[in-house]
Amino acid sequence: MPSSPGNERPKPFVFAEYCKGCGRCVGACAKDCIHAGTEINALTGLVPIELHLDNCNGCGLCIAACPEPFGLQPAPGADFDLQDPEKMFGARPSTAQKPTDIPAVRVPLPPMEPLVVKGTYASALGALLAGCRHVYGYPITPSTEGAELMAKLLPKLDGVFLQAVSEVATVNIMYGASGAGVPCMTFTSSPGFSLMLEGVSYMIGAELPGVFVNIMRGGPGLGNIGPEQADVKLACRGLGHGNTHALVLCPATPQEMLDLTILAFELTFKYRNPVVLLGDGYLGQITGKVSLPDHMLQPGLPSWAVFGDAAHRGNVINSIVLGERDLEVHNEHLNAKYARMAAEEQRAALYECADADTLLIACNTPAQMAKGAVRALRHQGVKAGLFRPITLWPFPIDALKALLPQLKRIMVVEASPGQIEDELRLALSYADVATPKIEHIRHMGGVLPQTNEIVERVLAGRAQEAQR
Amino acid sequence: MSSATTFGSPTFYSRFERHAHGEGLKGHATHYCAGCGHGLAHKYLAEAIDELGIQDRTVAVSPVGCAVFMFYYLDVGNTQAAHGRAPAVAIGHKTANPDSIVISYQGDGDLASIGLAEIVSTAQLGIPISVIFVNNAIYGMTGGQLAPTTLMGQRSSTSPKGRTPMMGQPLKMAELIAQLDGPVYVERVALYDNKQRVKAKKAIKKALECQVKGTGFSFVEVLAECPTHLGMEPEQAEKWVQESMVPVFPLGVKKDVTAEGPNFPTIPRPAFDAGHLLEVIDASPDAPPRFATAFPTHLDPTDVSLKLAGAGGDGAQTIALFLTRSAIAEGFDSTYIPSYGPESRGGTSYADVHVASEEVLSPASPDPHVLVAFNAPSLSKFGPQVRAGGTVIYDSTVVHEVPPLAPGVRVLAVPFTAIARDLGKVMVKNVVALGALQAATNLFPAETLLNTLRTALKDKAALIPLNEKAFAWGAQAVTDAR
Repeated sequence: MPSSPGNERPKPFVFAEYCKGCGRCVGACAKDCIHAGTEINALTGLVPIELHLDNCNGCGLCIAACPEPFGLQPAPGADFDLQDPEKMFGARPSTAQKPTDIPAVRVPLPPMEPLVVKGTYASALGALLAGCRHVYGYPITPSTEGAELMAKLLPKLDGVFLQAVSEVATVNIMYGASGAGVPCMTFTSSPGFSLMLEGVSYMIGAELPGVFVNIMRGGPGLGNIGPEQADVKLACRGLGHGNTHALVLCPATPQEMLDLTILAFELTFKYRNPVVLLGDGYLGQITGKVSLPDHMLQPGLPSWAVFGDAAHRGNVINSIVLGERDLEVHNEHLNAKYARMAAEEQRAALYECADADTLLIACNTPAQMAKGAVRALRHQGVKAGLFRPITLWPFPIDALKALLPQLKRIMVVEASPGQIEDELRLALSYADVATPKIEHIRHMGGVLPQTNEIVERVLAGRAQEAQR
Repeated sequence: MSSATTFGSPTFYSRFERHAHGEGLKGHATHYCAGCGHGLAHKYLAEAIDELGIQDRTVAVSPVGCAVFMFYYLDVGNTQAAHGRAPAVAIGHKTANPDSIVISYQGDGDLASIGLAEIVSTAQLGIPISVIFVNNAIYGMTGGQLAPTTLMGQRSSTSPKGRTPMMGQPLKMAELIAQLDGPVYVERVALYDNKQRVKAKKAIKKALECQVKGTGFSFVEVLAECPTHLGMEPEQAEKWVQESMVPVFPLGVKKDVTAEGPNFPTIPRPAFDAGHLLEVIDASPDAPPRFATAFPTHLDPTDVSLKLAGAGGDGAQTIALFLTRSAIAEGFDSTYIPSYGPESRGGTSYADVHVASEEVLSPASPDPHVLVAFNAPSLSKFGPQVRAGGTVIYDSTVVHEVPPLAPGVRVLAVPFTAIARDLGKVMVKNVVALGALQAATNLFPAETLLNTLRTALKDKAALIPLNEKAFAWGAQAVTDAR
């Protein structure tokens, strides 16, 4: 048993089961005290080194050469029990207190006059009011103004706006900031959102909050900068690889760009899951009246954060779960969370639906066009209503189900090749309900369905019906 | 036995609970192969953290690659990043908490291949984080494929006959990073003998000190052994690093400007003062004055639709915004939506405006009540869309032909450009047009629009008289034309 009496420097010792026999220490020793082993260790199947410490002067170079944290060690005093390494490496309790959730604080705001701002600005202001002071992004039309406003305002609020090298970097910076527990967001548009999806999958896997404002433009590919709604399938069904879902919010006005951005921050922390706010290119650019809420939020700090302080030292942010069963359990946990979102977060706005037999379904700017159409149709005696999903995932099927018995026609109005209709049909299918005839008006490429067109199509359908 | 005795660095967990649930030997042994350089890099990192007393502040970002499980071992805040993105994740942590000490630990595939954009841009940003770059000239976790740092002639599973120029040359990251302005400290070290190990540990500690002292971004490249994928005994691998890698990747300090002090500004800490926020976002409790007595029902009972069209730079967007601001100041709802061509200047530029008594439903103006056209293409494109009984106002300085219009459309030719030129500033032609629009339609009282104009120019007060004059002359031109 090596020991270090008096002032002698400690000599090395090793537990055979923690030595992989790499032999780095062999070459490190100038006194030829360490030899490659000859016997296979029964526990490891490896051949640990052998120590012959007669010539050892305790220089410690072998210890510095050992790559294993619990490999070669300076021998402690005389009386330790070689038979029980478990005891030897005893616990090192942290003095830090267990982290607890520090909740966000509501700070009241005095009544203010409405602002006149564009949709992207309204969303940026919503984020500031929700306590977000960390914004990362990469310029892309037609979402850039949101980032530009943040770049202007955040320095005045001692916040951070950082233009990343790409959308890929953006989402990963968000992964870091969000992992540290701070509210963060980005503004992007379709091609940029595509690039972020790998990172979104990581955030969902690691259960991190983060708000993604995607001002959808025309695709596929570079497409154009016109308004489209063709990222619905990405947001609702394709958030990167693996078992992913996120709440998808669909504002229709600048006011809702602000309101739903605030809601997005609330929900993203509530569920520890990213939230996607989908706008169309029009909505990003529309300037309109925006009223401020009666409070703002000062964010707290969640207990799970890796903030970089004593309280949170024990935390880890990761999405790797090596054991097959462990990963299945993790996915079951995610599924339970998705189910909770689906049950509790369905939102829809109903306009003139109470007695409607003809239901328009639309989101974003096309919903405004559809609302105009409902008004015009009502003037002509058609019992039209607008069902506007505010959450596209989960699809607000419960509210729709209640209307189904009275409906003769459903017309989905969208600026995409049917992605909103796909969400509708999927939701109806899972709800296992009889579905009235579903018609649609679809445009793509930056063309939006217009009010007159919707009115004409509804009336034409009725005329046909009447002829039969 | 003395219960105070502990072994290993206190920055290692006393049991690796995350390593196969800490069961059996895995509770105290790493997952690394015998002789792997990662273990040493981890150990020197842990010891440097101990010595600097920063364990509680440290956030270690582990990569994708063999070091993906660094969070099994280091008793610090841990984050596991996507492949190549550790520096980006590190930026997130550092900006979220400037007091944290953030380590981005990466291998050669992670840093020098898939993550090149992140490492180069983060290094140039110069944000104070510490990058530990473990270069073993091969992909480890995926099973021995060609790395960006694989030597010429070196065999790997994707260069079975050795690396040839068809696969490019090995990438010298320390030299590349040292060329940038952002980093304060860049060094390449190795692990193959006692002397190199001492230097390696010193370099890793210095890299962390750059954060503790707030000097800036640091980068330590560690030439490490991968005996498994080199197909060598650990001892041979040490020799190979010394004899084959070092000539290609020379050791030493590549950049050190730490003596010059901080190279990155203080990262701010957010404030959450309600009054300050409202001031910053330009919110006001004061209602703007109202001049209108009623909605302009002479134009439409509930929703007036306008289009302003011209070339980029004509100022159509600005007056569209003024119209919306004016409408909202009067208590109506209003929207304005621009549409530009791809050019910043000179392309097509038009704006749709709605003013509604209650709510704007459709923000587009496919059949406007009023069109203001600044050039001939705008008039010929949008003129025919103006609804029957509507109004077209165009710049007669540049437009000489009016296309066929819907029945009852009133046409007003106003020389916006000529009037603006007479005023000495062509740029105000849009305000001339706004004055003309007011006089022609009486959408709002003149004072509503003038008040919006003055508010917009509050920081350029010297320009107010000129703009007021432009507005008045535009209005006068309409009156004269009647």
